Amino acid sequence: MLLLAPVAPALASQVLRISAIPDQNPERLNRLYGLLAKELSDQLGVPVKYKPVVDYGAAVTGFRRGDLDLVWFGGLTGVQARLQTPGSKVIAQRDVDAKFRSVFIANQSAGLKPFSAQNDLQQLKGKRFAFGSESSTSGRLMPQYFLAQAGVTPKDFASGRPGFSGSHDATLALVQSGAYQAGALNGQVWDSRLKEGKVDTNKVVLLWRTPPYADYHWIAQGNLDQRFGAGFTGKLQQSLLNLSPSQPRQKTILELFAAGRFIPAKDADYANIEAVGRSLGKIR
Amino acid sequence: MSPAGQLLLPALVLLPLLALLPGAWHGGGFDLIGQFLLAAVQPSTDPALIVASLRGIAVTVAVALWSWLFSLLLGVIGGVLSAEVVSRTLWGCSWPALLLRRLLAIPRSLHELLWGLILLQLLGLHPAVAVLAIALPYGALFARVVAEQLDGLPRRNLEALQLAGAPAPAALLMALSPPLWPQLLSYGGYRLECALRSATLLGVFGLGGIGADLRLALQSLQFHEVWTSLWLLAAVMLALELALARLRQRWQEPNRELLVGFAALLLLLLPSSQWLELRWQVLFSPWQWPEVLPLWDPNGWLQDWPQLIGSTLLLTALAALLAVALLPLLLLLLGPGRWPRLLLSACGLLARLLPPPLTALLLLFVLQPGLLPAVLALGIHNAGILGRLGLEGLDALPPQPAQALRLAGSSPRQVLLVAGFNGIGRSYLSFGAYRADVILRESVVVGLVGAGGLGVVLLESLSSFAWGEVLPVLVVYAVLTLVGEQLADLYRRRLLSGPLPREGCSPLANS
Repeated sequence: MLLLAPVAPALASQVLRISAIPDQNPERLNRLYGLLAKELSDQLGVPVKYKPVVDYGAAVTGFRRGDLDLVWFGGLTGVQARLQTPGSKVIAQRDVDAKFRSVFIANQSAGLKPFSAQNDLQQLKGKRFAFGSESSTSGRLMPQYFLAQAGVTPKDFASGRPGFSGSHDATLALVQSGAYQAGALNGQVWDSRLKEGKVDTNKVVLLWRTPPYADYHWIAQGNLDQRFGAGFTGKLQQSLLNLSPSQPRQKTILELFAAGRFIPAKDADYANIEAVGRSLGKIR
Repeated sequence: MSPAGQLLLPALVLLPLLALLPGAWHGGGFDLIGQFLLAAVQPSTDPALIVASLRGIAVTVAVALWSWLFSLLLGVIGGVLSAEVVSRTLWGCSWPALLLRRLLAIPRSLHELLWGLILLQLLGLHPAVAVLAIALPYGALFARVVAEQLDGLPRRNLEALQLAGAPAPAALLMALSPPLWPQLLSYGGYRLECALRSATLLGVFGLGGIGADLRLALQSLQFHEVWTSLWLLAAVMLALELALARLRQRWQEPNRELLVGFAALLLLLLPSSQWLELRWQVLFSPWQWPEVLPLWDPNGWLQDWPQLIGSTLLLTALAALLAVALLPLLLLLLGPGRWPRLLLSACGLLARLLPPPLTALLLLFVLQPGLLPAVLALGIHNAGILGRLGLEGLDALPPQPAQALRLAGSSPRQVLLVAGFNGIGRSYLSFGAYRADVILRESVVVGLVGAGGLGVVLLESLSSFAWGEVLPVLVVYAVLTLVGEQLADLYRRRLLSGPLPREGCSPLANS
């Protein structure tokens, strides 16, 4: 009888389930979060399981339903998830996330020169323009916001709407190929592709770097202290902040995150993103 | 017009498409296409990746198997209950069957992907969601086929049994199940192939499996990783198609192979459920719509519907015509020899292997966004599906007419045109009309390439979690699908006058 007792649900609530919005190739995601799960498990003394999700919306929904405990979100998806999940809170971001930037790029054939001021974004009117994923903060939300400040709405692009490539790498490839004349993407992805030599600078030109804004962050469920013991959320936050480049496994994790360190973050850091999200209708 | 003529007529769709091509061609990413094709011969062999891909394909196959099984169950029960002949025999009236048939049209009218998104909100991140998302629309479709088959069977045996005093249920079972069985097997087998494709596509849209790996790898331009997944998927798909084609040739005499096949399948099902952690109790938890996502928003209903619907229908029509036209045209151009056939089969496999959104992304490397890449992505994918059925149909034709023509001195192309195309024409077109329904539902998945239409609105509303805007789009999709279904039926009845070939299944293999 003991063997048949339903132990599974009790166990399930003892496992810390972590996840992340998928904005990289699956192999890298699996490697990164596999390592992180081990690291967190060692530091916290609880089993940690990485549950991959395959799009931004599924990550938000999984978190809202309580199927995920700790999720690495983008700026916009994080706010969406937090607003839909009472009690949840922001616990950390990368050092680079406090001042994140997007870049606008163009195909050389579009005849655009690097912009000297934000108002030059008006030159993008009538061009074929690509964002990344619909839910992306750096590939869509903030670029659209800075465009709006310069008086450009999505309807002003060729054929009356922008395209959505689905990812930063795809945006880069599609602008470089000329399918779209211009596009916007994550500044960090742009910089690293440039460094890796994957950008053909004869074909693509950097138009403009946006002002900084807060982006990616970790969000934890509000009930972790009840489930894992008092003070667990604090310990969890601390173990993320503790990751340091001096220890080999932690160094690999930070490298895969493209981060120097994790730093503390709070809900209020994303008030701006929420306001922008609301103004553009991405948060209702 | 002769069936062969009707078969070639859709090729006219190539004229507007070719006219659009020069304006849309940019060719700037031709090197990327080259890299993609080159990567086919050097897929990544990183052990961790292979393990992950094997896991992905196992998830996809398990989801396909379970959803297929459920859809068969739902379909047989729903189909029997919505058959007029059953209703009249059991209850003496036909309205219960007709009512149920109307109700079953609702689950059928939404693409499995949309079911997936709805169920995800209701039930959460469980593999059972993917299973149910496929099983519901498939079950309803299967029910329709079963009901139509039942109503189309001759009633003499049934009447004789009833006159002899057999109770109604027993009479139904004895009179109708033997002739129904082989047709169900044949159609049911084909649905398993469809389920595998759907499970792959669902992965592309957030429910896990090989499709998800494919999408992420393609979007990050990791072509070597893409091909690791593609080759695995190709192997599984090809094996399944060959096995089913073999079974289909033998369904007449239910034999040992068939039984072994089913036994193997059942043995696969249980471990896959364990391993997938398909917790069925999830389905019995309360289905509650989250309060934070209001479904009603009057503003959501204020859209530019004529424009949205118009562009969706245009996309559907062009893609459907292209899908029908490609096989006959290519066969005529390349000639009916062995090598062209092999080439066509290989291209067809690749075409149905790649989910349309991924094909669309590849096409954008050389084409400007707009209607053309969307039409091509949907058209090519479905041509891959139709093409295989067409080739199978050609193989199953009786050889005598072709021999007679050859003896009379006709060229191979003439033989193909007269004997081949006339032989498969009607069932091929009937299947094409059915495919048009599917393409309408699938048009949502290529909203990304900038073709506009309902798909764009849907994806945008979904990413804003604005279900008040999602709901009207779902309703419009449902209405369009139901109207489309009616039109496709009309087309089959009117233009292809004569008895209805078995809808949707492998009419060709049996023609």
